[in-house]
Amino acid sequence: MSKQDHAALADAFNKDESRVDWHDQTLWFVREKRDKAVNKVPEWEWLRETASQIKNNVLSNLSEYLTQFEAQAVQNGVVVHWAADANEHNEIVYGLLKKHGVDRMVKSKSMLTEECHLNEFLAEKGVDVVDTDLGERVVQLAGEPPSHIVLPCIHKKKEEIGEIFHEHLGTPAGNADPQFLTHAARLHLREKFLTRKAALTGVNFAVAETGEFVVCTNEGNADMGAHLADIHIACMGIEKLIPERKHLGVFLRLLTRSATGQPVTTYSSHFKKPRPGQEMHIVLVDNGRSTQLGKKDFRNSLKCIRCAACFNTCPVYRRSGGHSYHTAVAGPIGSILSPNLDMKKYADLPFASTLCGSCSNVCPVKIDIHDQLYKWRQVIVQEGYAPVAKKLMMKTMTWVLSHPSVYHTAGKAGRWFMLNTPFTVNNGLNPWWKGREMPEAPRESFGQWYKRNRK
Amino acid sequence: MSSKDKILTAVKASQPEQRELPPLEPPTEGRPADPAKQFVEVLEAIGGRAYIVSGWERIGMILKEAYTADKRVVSGCAGLGFMMESIDDPHSLENVELAVLEGHFGVAENGACWITEDRMMERALPFIAQNLALVIHKKDIVPTMYEAYQRIADAEYGFGTFIAGPSKTADIEQSLVLGAHGPRSMTVFLIDEGMSDAGFY
Repeated sequence: MSKQDHAALADAFNKDESRVDWHDQTLWFVREKRDKAVNKVPEWEWLRETASQIKNNVLSNLSEYLTQFEAQAVQNGVVVHWAADANEHNEIVYGLLKKHGVDRMVKSKSMLTEECHLNEFLAEKGVDVVDTDLGERVVQLAGEPPSHIVLPCIHKKKEEIGEIFHEHLGTPAGNADPQFLTHAARLHLREKFLTRKAALTGVNFAVAETGEFVVCTNEGNADMGAHLADIHIACMGIEKLIPERKHLGVFLRLLTRSATGQPVTTYSSHFKKPRPGQEMHIVLVDNGRSTQLGKKDFRNSLKCIRCAACFNTCPVYRRSGGHSYHTAVAGPIGSILSPNLDMKKYADLPFASTLCGSCSNVCPVKIDIHDQLYKWRQVIVQEGYAPVAKKLMMKTMTWVLSHPSVYHTAGKAGRWFMLNTPFTVNNGLNPWWKGREMPEAPRESFGQWYKRNRK
Repeated sequence: MSSKDKILTAVKASQPEQRELPPLEPPTEGRPADPAKQFVEVLEAIGGRAYIVSGWERIGMILKEAYTADKRVVSGCAGLGFMMESIDDPHSLENVELAVLEGHFGVAENGACWITEDRMMERALPFIAQNLALVIHKKDIVPTMYEAYQRIADAEYGFGTFIAGPSKTADIEQSLVLGAHGPRSMTVFLIDEGMSDAGFY
């Protein structure tokens, strides 16, 4: 993983201006589809509020719901495992595969396994994992992580995907037709579905009342994997619980409309019991969630249903690309989740925002995302994780602003330099100069003007 | 201490004060008047097809016209007796051209049909078949997912799913392609017992 921060990685992404425009427009197109879908539901705001309240209830009773869920799932014939952190999660999955002598597995989309770096872990143990979501397969073949939690290869142009498929799947060079490439992936992955004994899926929602879990896909890859495999492992963060089955009626109305503008995913599959002869396992993962739950200002981030509406609307995400966030869950929500996992490593992310608030406006469960970004900034500076330059700048600003004579002198000097030697500010050393001309400096400060006109 | 105890203890210590669950019945203002009409419109918009038919006989005729005898058709519907078949291994379904199954009900707002495994023959069947047809009764179309879950709140099943249209993906530059891994086409037959087939013959 790169040691560069968001600004540096975004800089690299911004080198190719036409690609940035294309990326920006593609995601805005998804945001517009979301708006169209949402506007067809008159009770949309009621749904958001209701979902938010259900999630509040979940967070306030999470330990009880977890206990209830496990008891129900066990009664349904499912084996439940608990993982305190990423490593334990990975060991549990590997242990299950080893027990069954399985060294090849199909996997449908699971951001949790990205968070835990399961693929890398299993690769080291000699287990071959095939990601079966088309977008995830593309980035897997490219040796990259997903850049978006719903649209994993949204940063790739079709010509690049054609190139990857040519190299790995043997499609004709130069063929970049999405229809053709999707068909090639269908044939390639069908063979995997039919020959793999183990399938791992993520979980969109888990129902405490019944012990069942719901997996939503458009491609049908989770179902193809799970129903053809002898062993189905479903991995979920502990915050995925909802109290009762009927609450799905609220969340399934919100999820896909917010994500892609579809009224619902093609498949919303409810897994309650293993099929005869099959083993079904659920791995419940904490990995920092119980800590986040204890933070009053930040616990609401656990309400997230991973729709990525905040990604698609974010002016920073759209113009910096998912990889600039150097974390499994990018975008605004990732920027408030990641500092909880590692504040030092992700200290840059809460600053990768204009605080415009668009993320909070589209969030289907009403997470106060931009407020939390703002609050994280304060925590990060107080804990001493702000970049040195930023700390120095803030210290200097404090000194200047608390000494009126220094402030006036500095202002005067600044105006003089901008007026008489504009080259001292119009250069690459001044971050404000990037992408814009500096304005002409006024002859006098507001203070001077006020004094002159006060009479 | 086991990881389970560790997690539960940590969660309990962290969880905020009790918040109540909200009422779930949504406002109904501004809803389309005819759920069946909306269902057909939405289903077609998401790449599916709909036929409103008088009964099983008519469905059989439509399917016979569309699928020649050399194609493998698997049906779990008693009403289409001529197509019944039993399945030992889900992997053997790989060459199924068409699966015809009976759903429970449809949802007008999103074009989805609810089906449980007792009506699937094999869990894999509705996903692995090249084409899928579901049969429901026109009267069994509910307006939204709220009513859908009212219907299945206490239902018993090992596996159940909402299916809305054919398998699809837009992962390559947001270009919609039907037939990602599952069925390339999805047809819903809506049986309307009050309907006359006179015009079709």
